Amino acid sequence: MADVLFTNVRIFDGGAEAPFMGEVLVQGHRITRVLPAQRGVRSAPTMGAQVIDGAGAFLMPGMIESHTHFSWNDQPSLDSIQRMPPEEHILWCAEVAKRYLDMGWTSCVGAATAKPRLDVVIRNAINDGTIIGPRYLAASQEITVPGGLGDTTAPHLPQPEFAFGAVVSGAEEMRRCVRMFCKFGVDTLKINLSGESITGMPSEMSQFTEEEIAVCVQEAKAWGKRVAAHARSTWSIKQCIKHGIEVIYHASFADEEALDLLEAHKFDHFVAPGLAWLINTCHNASAWGLTPEVTRKMGYHRELEAAIESMKAMRRRGIRILPGGDYGFAWTPHGTNAKDLEYFVKLIGMSPMEALLSATAWGGPMMKMGKEIGYIREGCLADILLIDGDPLSDITLLQERERILAVMKDGEFHRAPPGRSTRTTRWAV
Amino acid sequence: MTREPSEVLFTNVRILDGSGQSAYPGSVRVRGPRILQITRSLGGVSAGDAMVIDGAGATLMPGMTEAHTHFSWNDAASLAAIQTMPLEEHVLWSAKVAHNYLKAGFTSCVGAACAKPRLDVVIRNAIESGQIPGPRYLAASQEITVPGGLGDEMLPHLPFPDFSFGVVVNGAEDLRRVTRMFLKYGVDAIKLNLSGDNFVPGADAKTTWMTDAEVAACAEEVRMRGKRIIVHARSCASVKQALRHGITMIYHASFTDSEALDMLEAAKDSVFVAPGIGIIYALLNEAEPWGVSREKAVSMGYEEEWAAACESLKAMHRRGVRVLPGGDYGFAFNPHLQNARDLELFVRYLGFTPMEAIRACTLYGGQVMQRPNDLGLVREGYLADLLLLDGDPLANLSILREPKRILAVMKDGVFAKTPPVDRARTWVSAA
Repeated sequence: MADVLFTNVRIFDGGAEAPFMGEVLVQGHRITRVLPAQRGVRSAPTMGAQVIDGAGAFLMPGMIESHTHFSWNDQPSLDSIQRMPPEEHILWCAEVAKRYLDMGWTSCVGAATAKPRLDVVIRNAINDGTIIGPRYLAASQEITVPGGLGDTTAPHLPQPEFAFGAVVSGAEEMRRCVRMFCKFGVDTLKINLSGESITGMPSEMSQFTEEEIAVCVQEAKAWGKRVAAHARSTWSIKQCIKHGIEVIYHASFADEEALDLLEAHKFDHFVAPGLAWLINTCHNASAWGLTPEVTRKMGYHRELEAAIESMKAMRRRGIRILPGGDYGFAWTPHGTNAKDLEYFVKLIGMSPMEALLSATAWGGPMMKMGKEIGYIREGCLADILLIDGDPLSDITLLQERERILAVMKDGEFHRAPPGRSTRTTRWAV
Repeated sequence: MTREPSEVLFTNVRILDGSGQSAYPGSVRVRGPRILQITRSLGGVSAGDAMVIDGAGATLMPGMTEAHTHFSWNDAASLAAIQTMPLEEHVLWSAKVAHNYLKAGFTSCVGAACAKPRLDVVIRNAIESGQIPGPRYLAASQEITVPGGLGDEMLPHLPFPDFSFGVVVNGAEDLRRVTRMFLKYGVDAIKLNLSGDNFVPGADAKTTWMTDAEVAACAEEVRMRGKRIIVHARSCASVKQALRHGITMIYHASFTDSEALDMLEAAKDSVFVAPGIGIIYALLNEAEPWGVSREKAVSMGYEEEWAAACESLKAMHRRGVRVLPGGDYGFAFNPHLQNARDLELFVRYLGFTPMEAIRACTLYGGQVMQRPNDLGLVREGYLADLLLLDGDPLANLSILREPKRILAVMKDGVFAKTPPVDRARTWVSAA
């Protein structure tokens, strides 16, 4: 692996300071030098390094997606995700994993998978080089109750293979299910604590008994795993804090008590609201029969308002809000994930700087990698993006593939910057 | 990413067109997926807006065809070890192998059986839809066998079909049902294990296992749907059985007698033989690290089979039967990507000239891929499946299995392996 020296770049280093001009040297997997361009500072040695003249491009840490479903297949329903055969499904996941890296997401936190082993296999295949993809934490299927979000069996077709989630009832079934996923090698157990309006059980309702939740967390922790919860309802948010469920997805209906609890434990939890799902289900899903009238009746418009208020309040209270969420449906296709940053700025009052931090520095702990990723600092892993333009003045730049000039993961270019070539003749030999 | 121009012009190349004729200097222009124009001269050619590849005297030849491919064999040392790979990993493995074959110069492969029901079909579909890179591919079924035959890996105390490498059938109607199932899945070929194999204790290569009634039921279904039967046939009786049922793709054919050779010769315009001799050679000479010493291989019957196969195949080649390279790569002792070694073995042991060996994976390759009119040759109008080689394969066939000597691989007019560019500078400007 050749060393790479980025020169003439504007560096956003993952701290909250303004970007500065300078140079970044990558050796092996890591960033070894970050040099601000100042009078009197000597340039890094270029001997043996590939030199990339950034011509003023914006250099930032690779982004971290905190709520990823590689196995959602850009279809309009859970059922059509489930009907994809396992062979095609694993190839789909591999294709999507590469797409995320293409779009600058060098790390992704799996938030649930559609068949038991998909996430684990993809993570392993990325790690051993069989396929190309971001750093990945593998999740279980969604664990749910009969009739809850993820139970897509029909009364006359009760086979578990028809279910999107893993359906359990009772503490001991929960324990068996958690143990099975731990055996398969997941990093995260996903539990659906609240409803989801589109499935018939409203988002404000909750499922599972406290005993079942306790067993899930107890068993997961015994195996050293993390628990992540689908938690839209007020009760479910509080359950997360009560049982120490680290990752709280959605958290739409947070009341004062829930906010107080979250604030009191703000370094123990991550919140990833997945606003894209709410926004696009309310406003951009008519082509799939979900007109605004329909989704209003389902309750999504009310939930969107509640979620925006909850996130504003959490932001004020210093709770970490992370981007990503539920991309992989027909109206939230994979690869458009950076829209979350735009939503953070436009809807919940983040500055572009905060939005960038939520996708970089704050994501390191979410990936269980602390400060090893998410920063352009000496000693950090070299997950680096080169952006044409300034995301701090226009956060939507990050949604455009052409504006992401280069993607480096672990010191290797996944996408090298385009060269300026003046001739088309190529010489073989 | 570099944008590919709509045309590619190879100049200054030695064209080995794959038909068996001598190579000649010239240039080849590719437009879209096909070869547009061939110029037999080293004189200047107008480039237009084509991307120009100056071959500097390199050899341009058709992409190779592998006539007996198992993407899902996972370079393990036993059939059971192939079978215990879980489904998800197995798909990704097959995808990776497919990509590697293409980069190694095999632009077409004939699937000869897969290890789980849908692996071959899914990989073929994914290649065709552009989801994964890989050669043109004809998808096979699993190996269909009878209880105790090659491919029945069930243990007496674990009688579960999922443990079995092949699908175990018994009786004509059972075979008909399984054939229909694979046709429903979308295979291009049904694989029958007619003979045994020295790898299997109790079912050696000289034994024959299926009844004519079973084979006939399968053949009837397959013909009805316009697909092909391909057979594992090492024994003399199994070769004759295949020919009796009009089966045109015969794998191995190690043991023959003059009647079998006469039958093969009579059917030479329709029959292909792909012996897969690489694996016999490897087991006999190179499998010691995996527990198969020369002595053990001899006791398994491989020395006898090797001698018989060399005689049989030499005779077939003399009589004008098409014998094709490829076969059974994907074991620890016969790993994937060494496939082009078959050409060297053909020359060394079967009496082929190097040109005949090349023709067997080019001209005959297009024929076995069922595209005799536009695949397998460097001809105007043919599909642009091309290799650019550093050196002359006729002088040294082993360059065909050296990645560094394969300068470029093109399939359907698109580079699967892009020729190395002479870089004058290492500075790259972004933005």
